[in-house]
Amino acid sequence: MVRRVLSLTAGRVSVAILLGIALLAVLGPLLAPLDPLAVSDDTLAGISGSHWLGTDYLGRDVFSRLLDGSRASVVGALEVTLMALVVGAIPGILSVYLGRVFEWVTLRVADTLIALPFLLFAVAITALLGNGITQAMLVTGVLVSPLFFRVSRAATLAVARSQYVEAALISGASLRWIIRRHVWAKVLPPIAVALAQTLGVGFIIVSSLSFLGIGVQPPEPTWGGLLASDLGYLDYRPWAPFAPALLIMATVWASNLLADAIRDVSGEAGRALLNSRKVRANQAAAAGGTA
Amino acid sequence: MTVLRITDLDVHYGLGRRRRQALKGASLEVRPGEVVGLIGETGSGKSTLARAVLGLVPASGGRIVIDGEDVSGYRNRQWRSLRRRGVVQYVFQDPLRSLDPDLPVVDSLIEPLLIQGVPREEAVAKARTFLPKVRLDPELLDRLPAQLSGGQRQRVAVARALITEPKLVILDEPVSALDAANRVGVLEILKDLRATGIALVFISHDLGSVAGIADRVAVLYQGELVEVGTAREVVATPRHPYTRLLISSAPTLRTAAAGRAEREALRALLTA
Repeated sequence: MVRRVLSLTAGRVSVAILLGIALLAVLGPLLAPLDPLAVSDDTLAGISGSHWLGTDYLGRDVFSRLLDGSRASVVGALEVTLMALVVGAIPGILSVYLGRVFEWVTLRVADTLIALPFLLFAVAITALLGNGITQAMLVTGVLVSPLFFRVSRAATLAVARSQYVEAALISGASLRWIIRRHVWAKVLPPIAVALAQTLGVGFIIVSSLSFLGIGVQPPEPTWGGLLASDLGYLDYRPWAPFAPALLIMATVWASNLLADAIRDVSGEAGRALLNSRKVRANQAAAAGGTA
Repeated sequence: MTVLRITDLDVHYGLGRRRRQALKGASLEVRPGEVVGLIGETGSGKSTLARAVLGLVPASGGRIVIDGEDVSGYRNRQWRSLRRRGVVQYVFQDPLRSLDPDLPVVDSLIEPLLIQGVPREEAVAKARTFLPKVRLDPELLDRLPAQLSGGQRQRVAVARALITEPKLVILDEPVSALDAANRVGVLEILKDLRATGIALVFISHDLGSVAGIADRVAVLYQGELVEVGTAREVVATPRHPYTRLLISSAPTLRTAAAGRAEREALRALLTA
């Protein structure tokens, strides 16, 4: 699967961007040239050699804050995504197999979660559990999980009633055997697509929550937090929102690109696509040989 | 000794007001090495009978004895251990859908053995010895189902059913999705099987395709087994009106098909 995704240009580009972002998350805080929390008199400064992206309204170095905030943003987005994956995909697959009661309960829970307005709910939960990045992200993850529930349930349903699963059943296969051997391979591609999409959404959620002051607390920087504070001083530094917005956009875009690439190469359609590419490459090679 | 004995089998589908009976008191015996043709029109309960024998639908009454083992009250775990021994196998009608499209055919072929816990190398070696029996080229093993013809796929499905050395194989319209040449090929394979002592239950809606291969024929009509007898008896002296209708609809079994008036009279008799 990984090799197939990397055989597409879109796959390579998106993976490269995401690796860059991941590197930024790991090394960002170390790379920050100045203390991201250090206040100075030099407020709302423009771009200069000492402040690459200028300073904010408290005179803090924006470039350092951007690098320092990348870890919280990326970790937050990952937390949302993984939480949603675990809480959504596993019950989604099992809802097809574990009987009517389990099916009914999980479906109604998923419906309920979809119906909840997530920002309000996140605000309410952080009020209840205390305001912290992990609480906020885990709650958000649960709220996003119906996407994974629906996707994995739909994919499993399509496979579960198939004759090859029945053939395995007739040979005495256990539930675990059927899921591992027949269901998993069919469910994985749509889940991977949902995963990449949610990662993109996760960044926006982390950003919008910290924009509202939920999750990461000031003065700790995040991309969304930077965007929020920059928007307040558009009169003085109209170009300022571009840097954090660009980072968020690039990550979301790369995630979606990756999702598309995964979708393109998986399943029957993916095999056909790769085959046609191979055929074309062979034809090109043959043409080159005769020329 | 019988491989399969069904006594007064009832099967219901649905619950409450939508509950309806798919099988009414069906009784049938299959002896080792015997080929039994199970005939009936769509919705007559043929597949339900097969699925009940495999434990895929629960029986609401009656008894099923497989190879001397009364399975009537079996729970999931007991079914699983029975199935794992591979005593009864099943061949589906549509060979395209009965093989996992993402797995090379060898994986589908040896799956019953892998489930039994046989090591992979051993299972593949055994699969190779089975290929001549179903007239398949070993080269095909590494291909995906989509790269095989319908006839080849059905032969893979037959080989998968045989690989556990079952005593009974149920074939649900095994040739109706195939063209004439492949149909003959698969039927030839099934005839070879008879010699090995495996009992076959051959499900079909068409008496003509079964009469040539079956020792005995059982006719299902609206969930009831209306007639069971040797193939010759059933064809020559059908007792139930539905069987007569079946035979008169098949021009190959008589010098000429029944006239329209005769068929309509038989239909009227059935609906009365």
